[in-house]
Amino acid sequence: MTDLNTDVIQGTLDLLILKTLSLGPLHGFGIARRVEQVSAGVFKVNPGSLLTALQRLERAGWLDAEWKQTENSRRAKFYSLTRTGKKQLEAETADWTRRASAIARLLEAEG
Amino acid sequence: MSLWRQLTHGLRNLTHRSARDRDVTDEVEQYFAEAEAELRSRGLSAREARRAARLEEGNVTVAKERVSGYGWENAARSLLGDLRYAGRQLRKHPVFTLTATLTLALGIGANATIFSLIDQALVQALPVRDPGRLVVLSFAGAGPGHTSSEGGSTEGHRHEFSYPMYHDLRDRNTVLDGLIAESPLTLGVTWNNHAESVKGEMVSGNYFQTLGVRPAAGRLFVAGDETAPGANPVAVLSFDYWKTHLAGAPVVGKTLLVDGLPFTITGVAAPGFHSMVWGHTPDVFVPLSMEQVLTPEWQFLNDHRSYWIDVAGRLKPNVTREQAEASLNTLFLALRASEFTQLRDQSAKARQEFITNAHLNVEAGANGFSPLRGDLKMPLTIMMGMVLLVIGMVVVNVASLLLVRAAGRMREFSVRYALGATGRQVVQQLLAEGMLLGLLGAALGLAITPGALRLLIHWTSAGSGSGIPFRATLDWRVLGFTLGVTLLASLLFSLAPALQFRNPRLAEAMQQRTGTSNGGSLSFRRTCVVLQIGLSLLLIVAAGLFVRTIDNLRHVQTGFVTDNLLAFDLNPSLAGYPATGIVPVEQRVLDAVGALPGVRSAGATNDADLASADITGDIVPAGYTPKPDEDFDVELPWVSNSYLQTLGVPLVAGRYFNAGDTATSERVAIINQSFAKHYFGSAEEALGHHVSRPNKANTDATIVGVVRDVKHASVREPAVATCYTLFAQATRQTGLTFYVRTSQEPGAMTASIHAAVAGIDTKLIVGDLRTMAVEIDGTLVAERAIAMLAAAFGLLAMLLAGIGLYGILAYSTAQRTHEIGIRMALGAQRGTVVGLILREVLLLAGGAILATIPLAMLATRAVRSQLYGVSVADPVVYGAGILSICVVAALAGFIPARRAATIDPARALRTE
Repeated sequence: MTDLNTDVIQGTLDLLILKTLSLGPLHGFGIARRVEQVSAGVFKVNPGSLLTALQRLERAGWLDAEWKQTENSRRAKFYSLTRTGKKQLEAETADWTRRASAIARLLEAEG
Repeated sequence: MSLWRQLTHGLRNLTHRSARDRDVTDEVEQYFAEAEAELRSRGLSAREARRAARLEEGNVTVAKERVSGYGWENAARSLLGDLRYAGRQLRKHPVFTLTATLTLALGIGANATIFSLIDQALVQALPVRDPGRLVVLSFAGAGPGHTSSEGGSTEGHRHEFSYPMYHDLRDRNTVLDGLIAESPLTLGVTWNNHAESVKGEMVSGNYFQTLGVRPAAGRLFVAGDETAPGANPVAVLSFDYWKTHLAGAPVVGKTLLVDGLPFTITGVAAPGFHSMVWGHTPDVFVPLSMEQVLTPEWQFLNDHRSYWIDVAGRLKPNVTREQAEASLNTLFLALRASEFTQLRDQSAKARQEFITNAHLNVEAGANGFSPLRGDLKMPLTIMMGMVLLVIGMVVVNVASLLLVRAAGRMREFSVRYALGATGRQVVQQLLAEGMLLGLLGAALGLAITPGALRLLIHWTSAGSGSGIPFRATLDWRVLGFTLGVTLLASLLFSLAPALQFRNPRLAEAMQQRTGTSNGGSLSFRRTCVVLQIGLSLLLIVAAGLFVRTIDNLRHVQTGFVTDNLLAFDLNPSLAGYPATGIVPVEQRVLDAVGALPGVRSAGATNDADLASADITGDIVPAGYTPKPDEDFDVELPWVSNSYLQTLGVPLVAGRYFNAGDTATSERVAIINQSFAKHYFGSAEEALGHHVSRPNKANTDATIVGVVRDVKHASVREPAVATCYTLFAQATRQTGLTFYVRTSQEPGAMTASIHAAVAGIDTKLIVGDLRTMAVEIDGTLVAERAIAMLAAAFGLLAMLLAGIGLYGILAYSTAQRTHEIGIRMALGAQRGTVVGLILREVLLLAGGAILATIPLAMLATRAVRSQLYGVSVADPVVYGAGILSICVVAALAGFIPARRAATIDPARALRTE
């Protein structure tokens, strides 16, 4: 175990969820695992925050939810991206890229 | 989309709570099961995997609670829970609930009632199409000639236009989608052989089209109906008149006799529509071009110098009011310049006043012009002020009741704190109770509002038909305002006690005994007492001042005897009499009524007394040259030769008119003292002089008598210089107001007067037969309404103060039972104990009174214009107010004090 911070950067959980779901429907644990794997363990989400965020995104109309069987035949709630969800993902991606590159430039300029 | 989802998901979760809980549980548990499964696939045992999953992902229950805590429905559910609990609490204490609800209902109902009147008089738009585009026209500048005004004009804002000016403005402007005009008049209408006088309105042909009023039957006027003078006798009925007087019979195309002339009814206006002027409720509309035949004595239509019609317009789309004003002013000034060339006085000063100082005002007119509005503003503002004071009292009152009750619930709150409730939750609970009370009160208050409105409307329209068209209905503005007031009031009265119980030191609270009380609530209770006494004193003082005002006005010395005096209006031209027939038939009516048994004498005038009527003009002694700028306007009534004797106006010099003064004898005049003093110095000097109206032929008359000054327009206004001449010798023939002095109860005479007039001609209409007392009341509508409301609010304030003070004092005295027990055990007498408590109450009351008096004087200064014969610092009013509030306070303190003093000291000591 390391003491490295694995918290999701504030305000980016929605973006991570939307991006992860853009590849296909997943249930809550699946999303958490995917985020952890793709980020190579840099980000780790806890179930309380994740499932609450999923409800919020569903209410916002960006996600649809459906109870289905998993591969190992458990009942699970699968989330998928709606059309407005896709648009939201594009908007948030663009926004993030803009900000991240600005921060990168600032850090370089300082060096 | 997302809002819709918020709503539907939330509602589904609210209504299917267990399904939702199961869903969340399933999802969270599935999450942890997957995590465990993954760990086991890495080779951990079931037990190790479970432990590791908990370690990594946290607590299942915490996660569940967090997830199911999401959404607005949770807040709603806790609010519902609070409200349900609040409802149970209120049911458990019916006396408290009833007192608080009734108190609130009275306050909120009064508030909604007065606000509704203000809304109707000052805010509400006319019920016409797109009222926001309507503008009202008025002008500044001289208007030499004849003005026929119904009021509502102010300096620089004259609302009466001449017909030619209206005509040119209408036809030559480029900024309006229609310019309309109207003038009110009384019409004599005969339908099915039944003659009556009704309210009429002469309107322009484009009137209904421009306003966008639809017909309920037939067709309304079109521009073509405004024809050559007198050529198109057509009429439109108002919906109400059609329903109430013509029983909704088929009338289109039928003939209606108007002033004895046949008019064809073209249609009925839509229900709800009255007039472009707020305050008018005409029964019959006729084209303006019919003025020629309906008021033949005037002949206004082609006269540039007769100012008599109200004008309003509808802005074209895309034209702003400012643009319209600029454009219309150019036109208006050009028209004025050409009118000026026709005037006799061509001096530079006259030009200055007529053209240079002239300006046309184009003002927003969604709620229409109204001659009444200016007079209503002040009384309504005063009433609203009083109502707000009442609401203030109600808030303090309910707050103190709630506080007393909350104090008794100390243990309940302590237990809730002990069980883990936060301060916020307890405050929220108290707020919920307050809101529930407030809403209950508001519902009851709104339920009584239409009734209160009807009562108030009935009061104010009693007397001669000065009916203000207020309606007893509530619109969304009133509902919104009431809701706002309710929420604000509820917040105030529930927050004050709630804050007392926010986070008390728990242990202390648990040990709290009824024998002690904390300092915070003591000062809050004192504040409540002081506020209640202060507010009620304000209301009582207001009540006193207004009641004295109306009393003074009712007993004002008018200069003549108003008892046993009946009045009625009669205009032979409404029955179709030609000009030459009017004076003879009026004389016959006078003779017939004067000869009735029970009648001492009868007289008549064209200028009704104490009815807010004025007929003024200039009249000067023959050969007298007015000084420059001398403007001495004189009241100029035309009277019968028995009029002054009938009213009982005392003679000062010379003689009254008598039977020898006839249409053909020498022209004579009687003047009053003010007139005599202005021109002749004394009454005796005036006799024998000649007076005449400048620039008017056949007006020269000899002064034969001088009478005492009497009040004319209203009891409020001082007497003005007056010159009485005989209607038989007048230059025009008009309708008259007849006065009948009876030797018995005047009410009993009405039938025989009607019969006497009908005996002369059944077509003659006896209008508005009333006693002088009713007539006077009719001019004091606003004063009467304010006085009655103020008195009602004053009594209400006393009652509320009594209840509120009693509640607080009963509680705080009960708090001191233990202390009182000790005092009595140590030998204090009952009287001493009662005195102790009373002294405290009266000290508080004294402080409150001292603080309120300057405030009251300040507040009453603002309403000085509405007072009559009473100073804003009237010692009787203040003395009585202070005394009565002290009595209420002492009584409210005495009852609990006595109860405390009569209990057995041994028992008092044992009370916790």
